[in-house]
Amino acid sequence: MAESSLPLAGLRVLDVSSFIAAPAAAVVLGDWGADVIKIEGPDGDPNRTIMNDSGNYPKAEVNYPWQMDSRNKRSLVLDLKKSQARAALDRLITTSDILICNFPPPVRDKLRLTYEAVKAVNPGLIYASLTGYGETGPDRDRPGFDATAYFARSGLLDAQRYEGGPPGVPGPAQGDRATAMTLVSSILIALVHRMKTGEGSWVGTSLLGNGLWSCGVIAQAALVGAFLPPRPPPDRPRSALGNIYRTSDDRWLQLTIVREDKVWGSLCAALGRPDLVDDPRFAGLQERRTNSAPLAAILREAFAARDCAYWSKALAAQEITFGVISRPQDVPDDPQATACGAIVETAIPGMPRTLSNPVRLSFAEQRVARPAPALGQHSEEILREAGFSAHDIAELRASGAIR
Amino acid sequence: MNQPSEAPEPLPLAGLMVLDVSSFIAGPAAAVTLADFGADVIKIEPPGEGDPHRQNYRSPNYPRAEKQVNFPWQLDGRLKRSLALDLKNESARAVFKRLVGRADVMIVNFPTPARERLNLRWEDIEPINPRLVYCSLTGYGESGPDRDRPGFDVSAYFGRSGILDAARYEGGPPGLSLPAQGDRATAMTLVAAILLGLRRRDRTGKGGWVGTSLYANGVWANGTSAAGALVGARLPPRQSPDKPRNALTNLYRTRDDRWLQLLMVRDDRLWAPFCRLIGREDLLADPRFADREERKSRAAELFKELAPIFALRTYAEWERVFAGTGIPFGVIERLGDVVEDEQARHAGIFSDTTNPEVPRTVNNPIRLGFATPRTAGPPPSVGQHSAEILRELAYSDAEIAALKKTGALG
Repeated sequence: MAESSLPLAGLRVLDVSSFIAAPAAAVVLGDWGADVIKIEGPDGDPNRTIMNDSGNYPKAEVNYPWQMDSRNKRSLVLDLKKSQARAALDRLITTSDILICNFPPPVRDKLRLTYEAVKAVNPGLIYASLTGYGETGPDRDRPGFDATAYFARSGLLDAQRYEGGPPGVPGPAQGDRATAMTLVSSILIALVHRMKTGEGSWVGTSLLGNGLWSCGVIAQAALVGAFLPPRPPPDRPRSALGNIYRTSDDRWLQLTIVREDKVWGSLCAALGRPDLVDDPRFAGLQERRTNSAPLAAILREAFAARDCAYWSKALAAQEITFGVISRPQDVPDDPQATACGAIVETAIPGMPRTLSNPVRLSFAEQRVARPAPALGQHSEEILREAGFSAHDIAELRASGAIR
Repeated sequence: MNQPSEAPEPLPLAGLMVLDVSSFIAGPAAAVTLADFGADVIKIEPPGEGDPHRQNYRSPNYPRAEKQVNFPWQLDGRLKRSLALDLKNESARAVFKRLVGRADVMIVNFPTPARERLNLRWEDIEPINPRLVYCSLTGYGESGPDRDRPGFDVSAYFGRSGILDAARYEGGPPGLSLPAQGDRATAMTLVAAILLGLRRRDRTGKGGWVGTSLYANGVWANGTSAAGALVGARLPPRQSPDKPRNALTNLYRTRDDRWLQLLMVRDDRLWAPFCRLIGREDLLADPRFADREERKSRAAELFKELAPIFALRTYAEWERVFAGTGIPFGVIERLGDVVEDEQARHAGIFSDTTNPEVPRTVNNPIRLGFATPRTAGPPPSVGQHSAEILRELAYSDAEIAALKKTGALG
């Protein structure tokens, strides 16, 4: 199953989770060589149908979100509410290294899937818990989604709005995928701990915690009583050199000049406005801040006069830090997206390219994505590996515990 | 240096020496996380001003704290020791080599041309210490047309990846990101990369290059839309809250002018209890909304039914109605409330420091059953630990004084 040279080869992961953050963490472990077994109920992970169920997903012939979040996994269907199925899971737990769980706590209690319960079965197991809001407290039992727990509860969406406008808009699963990397890090720390002590452990993270970590600057500010005033719209920026401008071909350029004392002259040159260097209104940092509205008006007019390609060249020539607000449809054709390893080829018919996880290693390549499993595709194979006889398997099937 | 204090056993990363040769936020925040869990992190900064991030609290896009508290630096500099070393200076190079020889991890975020100039590429470092895990952060990757381009999170993570374009309401300007929002998410990827490097070293004795880019992290976060784009599927522009594509996953304004977020993805199961809870059992019998398909295709009609209902009560009242029912909902929280949120305390999100300027700080989001992160004290001033660190490297006081004189050491 797993290439032996990969850093996580030889590890077995039970992905007892659904939707995106926790399954995406399991994907990353699989990318680096772990044998990932996805354990699903008889209806399957609802993420199998989210592309059509959710109005916020782009629609396609191929079920790309499911392919992406399940690549290189094997599927075992266990109806954990049935005792035979739960017993079969225990047998798998004894031969596994990592179990990833995102059930709300009451379900964990009901299914005997708390850390205490599985630790008794395998004390060397690393139990990785994902919750919306943490393991204790008034909201611990509340189902959490990234739009609610990561984005809304953390204050991110409220802060991401223009003055007077509605709250910001999160992309589908955006917080889930960022959180997946934290879950991976927590599992890797547990592996360090296990290597040192021989002991398994509980590790975990919450969507709320990750949302707040990502807006850590303003969260830390709030902790000392400082708050970001609402962001003025692009025509009234706080700093004209940290603002967005529309080009003649309706693209948006982002200036992100941090050390503007060093590049003010080059910017004026790039704009073809060397006269601005001597304009007393914009002489120093302080003057440019005070006069940011007139300065933004000058920049707005200048940028609107030419297209994005022109400005990209002109700004790069002056070594000015800028970005272009890409549209998602620009990313697949961006050679830099392939150069930085974000986009890779797959062995999936109908979906020739996918996104690699963002970790790069010089000593190993991520596994090539193969088709995500059909529901229960590997049930029999996995149970045979776990020592179940053909007779046992047939009985489990007859009872409805497996599929 | 800061010793682990309250941990019941050695912290999992105790004994690791990390050289933080990075600036601003993503690289330094990864180093903070390693320090939180016990690593000895040495921040190598240019003498004088040090890391330019020390000045970011003056940025107009940062909240302004009273008494000029430098909160971002406190957050990203915690638990580190500062060594002020001018890497352009030849005699500093010898000091640096000696440090590299003893270090386990090195984090670098210089643009590629600067790495070449300063002999800081992995191929320069590997001969000095082949067991080192060399962790590289770039804006746009290690090769390709934009590899030399300095990258910031607002441009590389948010702008280039398509996140900001997607984060807008139809017809509106691109969405907004918050200061360092993508940097801090990327820090978790760097931590994972470093730990994979250490795991490989434990098994093979060999160090190696590991890394990530802001761009790749933005695309990863935006992965659902990006994976759609790869197969030619395009996200339609997000309609404003009064024109939702799905009325059951939408924002509703409450009587007290808060925004309630309804997130009923599983509306097959939850539709009936939902209608009962909002006191509209009649909708269950309404043929227009009989099944999921119809509820979705008639989102505008359903919105018209629901909006006036949500406007009847305050958010707190709605919270009582939905609590414990399995209906996924939330509120667009305000950060001022978050820092007092009891649940945030339970989730281990904030912790107390021993730093009077910043009595509470933001924890890294990793929770471990066997260890708690170290308590944060004040971050170092530029070069605060220069002499101490050089003494550990067996430099004599006279050598240290000589280095200071040449300006190699600050």
